[in-house]
Amino acid sequence: MPAAVKRGALGSGRPVAAAFIFFALVCGAALSLATGGRSDVGLGTLWALIAGQGDEIARLPMATMLDLRLPRAAVAALLGVNLSLAGLILQAVTRNPLASPGILGINQGAALGLVAALAFPGAAGLALDGMAIAGALGAGAVTFAIAGGFSGRIDPVRMVLGGVAVGAFAYGAVRFAYTLEDELARSIVRWTVGDIGDMRWSDARPLALWSLGGGVMTFLLAHRLNMMSLGEVASRGLGADPRWTLLLGAVVATALAGVSVTVAGPIAFVGLVVPHVARALFGGDHRVLVPVSAGLGAALMLCADGLSKLLAAPAEVPVGLVAALIGAPYFLYLTMFSEALE
Amino acid sequence: MTPTRRTTLAAMVAALVMGTTALAGEITHDLGTTDVPDAPERVVVLEFSFIDALVSVGMAPVGIADDNKAERVMEVYGNVLGEDWTSVGTRKTPSLEVIASLQPDLIIADTTRHTDAYDTLSQIAPTIVLDSLGGDYHDSVAQMAVIGEAIGKPDAMTARIADHKTLMADYVAQIAPKVKDVAGQFGVTNATGLYLHSPTSYNGSLLEMFGFSSNMTPGEGGVYETNYVQTTLEQLSELDPDLLILGEYTDPSATDNWAGEPLWQALSAVKSGEVHYVTANNWSRLRGMVAAELTAADLLKIVDRDASGS
Repeated sequence: MPAAVKRGALGSGRPVAAAFIFFALVCGAALSLATGGRSDVGLGTLWALIAGQGDEIARLPMATMLDLRLPRAAVAALLGVNLSLAGLILQAVTRNPLASPGILGINQGAALGLVAALAFPGAAGLALDGMAIAGALGAGAVTFAIAGGFSGRIDPVRMVLGGVAVGAFAYGAVRFAYTLEDELARSIVRWTVGDIGDMRWSDARPLALWSLGGGVMTFLLAHRLNMMSLGEVASRGLGADPRWTLLLGAVVATALAGVSVTVAGPIAFVGLVVPHVARALFGGDHRVLVPVSAGLGAALMLCADGLSKLLAAPAEVPVGLVAALIGAPYFLYLTMFSEALE
Repeated sequence: MTPTRRTTLAAMVAALVMGTTALAGEITHDLGTTDVPDAPERVVVLEFSFIDALVSVGMAPVGIADDNKAERVMEVYGNVLGEDWTSVGTRKTPSLEVIASLQPDLIIADTTRHTDAYDTLSQIAPTIVLDSLGGDYHDSVAQMAVIGEAIGKPDAMTARIADHKTLMADYVAQIAPKVKDVAGQFGVTNATGLYLHSPTSYNGSLLEMFGFSSNMTPGEGGVYETNYVQTTLEQLSELDPDLLILGEYTDPSATDNWAGEPLWQALSAVKSGEVHYVTANNWSRLRGMVAAELTAADLLKIVDRDASGS
């Protein structure tokens, strides 16, 4: 059922909702930056840094904050942005409220690439990251081929089915690899639920470039996405060829999801839940939904990162698990009580 | 004989027979008691520490779960094992068909990994289950005695354990005075992370026996939460051991990637040059008497090297 472009629950209270998102971002950032392995680095350090008293902080807490925690929080936020934008695009172009970056089979393809790199070290000659990217792109290409993308007639239903098939195959291969060796299984299991434990600025930089580029592209596509929600015929009648929209949208979504999965592993719920929350708060206009989804996604991932360090302290829970734990109940609530999904 | 006297006599004979059967081959292990043949000749072992037990009394198993990588066991136990054994697959998921095809008369399995398969394994051959993965050093020595009984060589095993304890006591006497008040820590690294072995693990308890103290606080939960704890750089810098012993499974490993960073450079162990690399396989996977003796020799070398200041 296409979601009509209508006003959401807080349609008239946009400043309130915007303030809520900003507040969530700040809280999430504080939570993520104040928690971690070293107990002498916390809110105090953060406050001192913001207030410009950087030279009063000891060398190690400073190094922890700048070299470990800030990049990790940045990566978490950027992942949130990428995944929610990818989810937003996919839900619009397939007109399927259950669409998410996971359905294209990209997550599972990247996992398969990583497993191949770990199981046969040196065979492919690429580093771990390179193999994960290769896996993601390969899976995306196969899904595209099944969807008819390379023959020019791309079909949303075939794309979803193709993605499910590719994902199932890739993931079956990954699970088989678990049985091969203890250490292999231990290395991969954490990664496959989404882990940002060991991030540095060098990981955040490429992610930031893609977030920026992807965000701009998505905003430019927003008008077309609005047209898509009116249905294929109406869309064509209004001058926005649905096939082009589908192709462009799928490419942008694949790029955003692919780069996210190679950095942190597959994170499941963010791309699915955040667009719905955004729609429930702000209605169906994609020009508004793009920045809102990005902001909400970042806030969700920052909170999830902070909680991942607190829930089972001193052990760290993988961030993908926590994001799902936060997102799933809210999704359930939305399903039962929101009109936006009807 | 009167009926009552006959019954009493029958009861006494029965008790005597049962008593002798109990002495012959009933072994108590983690999942109960199993009747084991008196002198099994075809033994299948599903963990490396059990190979250690058999090899230390000169016996070779017919089937070993070697993770499909024979070099893991041949390097240390090769001279006793020879070439006549069959690999039954990985320790995590050994092949039941291959085990059955070997027609064993005893199977020795691990509590953490093979409890679920216990019933099926018992159908193939009498099975005893011992805690190799989750047990500490002292548990491991106790398990050696149980295995000695199960394979019908209790005396040889007792003698070997006594020799082992003497040798280890000797090592302790040499090492302990040099490591007073030193917080030692052992960990293994692979491509994606660092796993520290806590004081309740095999190597943790071994280090404790040698006189090291530990900065780790015990965790709660399964084996991978209490014994082999995944540790981030931040957590390691908070723990800050005086002496760090690392076994690397891959090259480069996660700790190599941390090499240039301020938090790593600021570790006490790094600043005083007390980061030592050992063979991960021998320290972490083998967990037996022979392996413990190798570990002790490594440790003595490490400690002596420091003492001589080189």
